[in-house]
Amino acid sequence: MAVSDGIRQRAATVQRPGLRRARRRNAIAGYAFLAPSLFGVACFLVLPVLVVIWLSFQSWDLISPARWVGLDNYRSVLTDGVFANSLLVTLVFVVIVIPVQTVLGLFAATLLTRGLPGSGVLRTLYVLPWICAPLALGVVWKWIFAPTGGALNAIIGHRVEWLSEPQLALPAVCAVVIWTNVGYVTLFFMAGLLNIPAYLLEAGRLDGAGPAALFWHVKLPLLRPTMFFVLVTSVISTFQIFDQVYALTGGGPQRRTDVVAARIYYEAFESFSFGRAAVMAVILLVILVAITLAQQLYFQRRITYEMD
Amino acid sequence: MKWTRTLLVYLVLLTGAALTLAPFVLSVMTAFKTPEQFARRSSLSWPDPVTLENFGVLLTGRTEFGRAIVITVLAALLLVAGQLLFSIMAAYAFARMRFPGRDALFWVYLSTLMIPAIVLVIPLYLMMAQLGLRNTFWGLVLPFAFASPYATFLLREYFRGIPQDLVDAARLDGANALDVLVEVVVPLSRPIIATVTLITVVSQWNSFLWPRVITTGNDWRPITVATASLQSQYNGNWTLVMAATTLAVVPLLALFLVFQKQIVRSIAITGFK
Repeated sequence: MAVSDGIRQRAATVQRPGLRRARRRNAIAGYAFLAPSLFGVACFLVLPVLVVIWLSFQSWDLISPARWVGLDNYRSVLTDGVFANSLLVTLVFVVIVIPVQTVLGLFAATLLTRGLPGSGVLRTLYVLPWICAPLALGVVWKWIFAPTGGALNAIIGHRVEWLSEPQLALPAVCAVVIWTNVGYVTLFFMAGLLNIPAYLLEAGRLDGAGPAALFWHVKLPLLRPTMFFVLVTSVISTFQIFDQVYALTGGGPQRRTDVVAARIYYEAFESFSFGRAAVMAVILLVILVAITLAQQLYFQRRITYEMD
Repeated sequence: MKWTRTLLVYLVLLTGAALTLAPFVLSVMTAFKTPEQFARRSSLSWPDPVTLENFGVLLTGRTEFGRAIVITVLAALLLVAGQLLFSIMAAYAFARMRFPGRDALFWVYLSTLMIPAIVLVIPLYLMMAQLGLRNTFWGLVLPFAFASPYATFLLREYFRGIPQDLVDAARLDGANALDVLVEVVVPLSRPIIATVTLITVVSQWNSFLWPRVITTGNDWRPITVATASLQSQYNGNWTLVMAATTLAVVPLLALFLVFQKQIVRSIAITGFK
């Protein structure tokens, strides 16, 4: 490292007159390497966000020209109760899905890190649902829940309308989401558990801690960073749930499973109320940015705290 | 005492595995049944006789499922190639080159990771409509062919870990930036490139929302959209529908079995998707 630094310095001194030109050439090369990717980011990520903000102040159904309506879309979205219902449904999803999948994942991970033969194979099995298309698996579960010819009713032996009964639809969809995610959560907790230094567990054991005490007082506190990562990424992905809801219920019955992403989709592409959909999209974006920033702040503060 | 506990642990773990696998097994079983058998016997019975009828109907009949598979493969190939190539170039620029605005631009890349797909889909649809690209192959792939900020981020982190000495040595031998990238950086970065490729293949194969929005009819829809519309069109015709979900899922399961270790590791280090 030091040698090559020396060489670079010498090269710089020798070529000083041409240095500015070299720097400009470097800059041009840098932009040239970046250009295609930057084009994609600018046109298909940054520009769309500006368009969706602009759109939230327009009335547009794609047929007649767009018309500026000020805050009308915001007023209608925030007052008519449909979006409030979607936010509430999404929150209920978060409140059901996240604790259940976190506890199940943590439990599976503790069992899989006991060094028993076959743990690797089982871990792989648990991740299978995570890598398959959520839409396709949603359709599979649609069949499993089907009132006639469905697998679940064949198992329990009588007819239940899992997806059209207002009380059952939301728990059913939550169950599918949990089934999809548990393996993913397990994977992270396994990594976290395997990272715990053996001497800490040994010290705990020497102090007379049983398996339960070891879990609550040694492992769980040391899993805090993993736990935090899993919770934040799960909250963010649960807020965006779409494919499973589309396949299973289409937001019904009686809007009981009408999560935010599904509402935005139906508002835009079935009712063609692009302005209203844009308002909902902007609100969702603000919520997710807020969650991410809160996580960043929390992490920064924790890190400085632990450095002291 | 000890072995009873081990037995209990295995019992719990195997129950979990059975619950995880059951939907796959049951749906594949259904895909190999005739509609008559499905109607007459329990949904939990084994297919007897085993029939390929449903797959035949899907691949040769009016559902044009074969076409959807071809579209999916083509789109995935194109998107993987584009995202990989351009993200490697961008990551190299961010990691190893000096130009004004570099750090600010990288910050923009990172911020775009917060934007959910459902927010992008509405403006992208209107933009593609303006360009006249609704229900075309280019409309399907164009918005995602150039950039993947996430891939760029992962690759940049890796490129930064490559010793500067190796780069300097190549430069002293007269290599330009492109030579360094192709001959030094890329060969040293095979693991992360494999990870990014797998992540991209899986997420493109599975993507549904954008294809659902931008395509109509049978011409350009990928396999996920074809499965969804089959389900609503042939509602109750579950043997056919389960054959469709089997076709949508099996290629990924095969990929998973081959690259099992790499995929599990990729999920663990990147936390996709």
